Amino acid sequence: MSKLENKIKVMPKAVVCEDSTIKGDVTICSGSVIHPSAQIIAESGPIIIGENCIIEEYAKIIHRIPPDHKLAQEKNHVLVIGANNLFEVGSTVEALKIGEKNIFECKSYVSSNVTISSGCVIGAGCHVVGEQHLPENTVIFGKNCQQREALDKVSGSHMLQLDFLRKVLPNYHHLRKPCDIKKAANLS
Amino acid sequence: MEICDMYYNKDEFVETASGNKVNRQTVLCGSQNIVLHGKVIVDKGAIIRGDLANVRTGRYCVISKNAVVRPPFKQFSKGVAFFPLHIGDHVYIGENSVVSAASIGSYVYIGKNVVIGRRCVIKDCTIIEDNSVLPPETTLASFMKFNNDGTIEGGQGTESVPAAMQDLMVDFTKSYYDHFLMAKS
Repeated sequence: MSKLENKIKVMPKAVVCEDSTIKGDVTICSGSVIHPSAQIIAESGPIIIGENCIIEEYAKIIHRIPPDHKLAQEKNHVLVIGANNLFEVGSTVEALKIGEKNIFECKSYVSSNVTISSGCVIGAGCHVVGEQHLPENTVIFGKNCQQREALDKVSGSHMLQLDFLRKVLPNYHHLRKPCDIKKAANLS
Repeated sequence: MEICDMYYNKDEFVETASGNKVNRQTVLCGSQNIVLHGKVIVDKGAIIRGDLANVRTGRYCVISKNAVVRPPFKQFSKGVAFFPLHIGDHVYIGENSVVSAASIGSYVYIGKNVVIGRRCVIKDCTIIEDNSVLPPETTLASFMKFNNDGTIEGGQGTESVPAAMQDLMVDFTKSYYDHFLMAKS
């Protein structure tokens, strides 16, 4: 695939800064906030980003299925990212399945053969590689990327932060315009 | 410490009246809230988030390539607030580092690929090693060194941070600035 066709759909109430890099077929559901210099690259198929996600600077979400992956034969695989995920500064996520309410902290890395359920926290600077499935509420932390289950629910509902960002970002940045839902429905 | 001359093209950098050298490819959000107190170098790809809260740096700071300076937020029962970020004089921030501290003192050396968690307080004359991760709300006292395995060492009678850290950082940042030259065309 040499050239990617850009098909970016931004739902109403999503805040997507124009300085972000979005390539390929990407749908951003309402309420999500995408900071400047974030990268979303849909190389092997479309990406759908759920509601109320935050994607910070230099975070990278890549949908790229490696040739030896079991999904490589599958045509039209869609990377669905659930609601309420937080991708912090400099995180790189290549996972092909991501649930809800996960936190990817600064400079974390998740490779493409990992699947992530819900409520997981990938600590700052942690790398998750190798074929594995992270069960719900997994926390990966520390220098040696130790893994354990969170005892209580991840408290940080980042809704308050989202409210703040939705208020502030439009004052300082040019935003990508949300697409007209009616028009999009007619086209498809 | 001797630093080789570094050259940049005239059209790559903007030099302000107070001697700040800012690359054109930096992302300075909310520039009205960013104060660079003079002779500050902001290199290519660096991001300073002035839109979230005020950012103030002292004189002779170096913000290297792809570093992110982002004010920290704190969650309250009602809403969140982003706190202003103050950086002292003669501070070096290495490449690809993420700085979300509440305050950084003067004469601080921050290595490459460092993550400084939100609302950390870093005092004067400290060293943060390459690739280290400071957990949120860490306080680093003056003349301490944060290692990349997560330990803090230093204090009286140790040589973790040189006693002449202040003079070393003054020399280092000044010579960095003096050797950061425009290429003669």
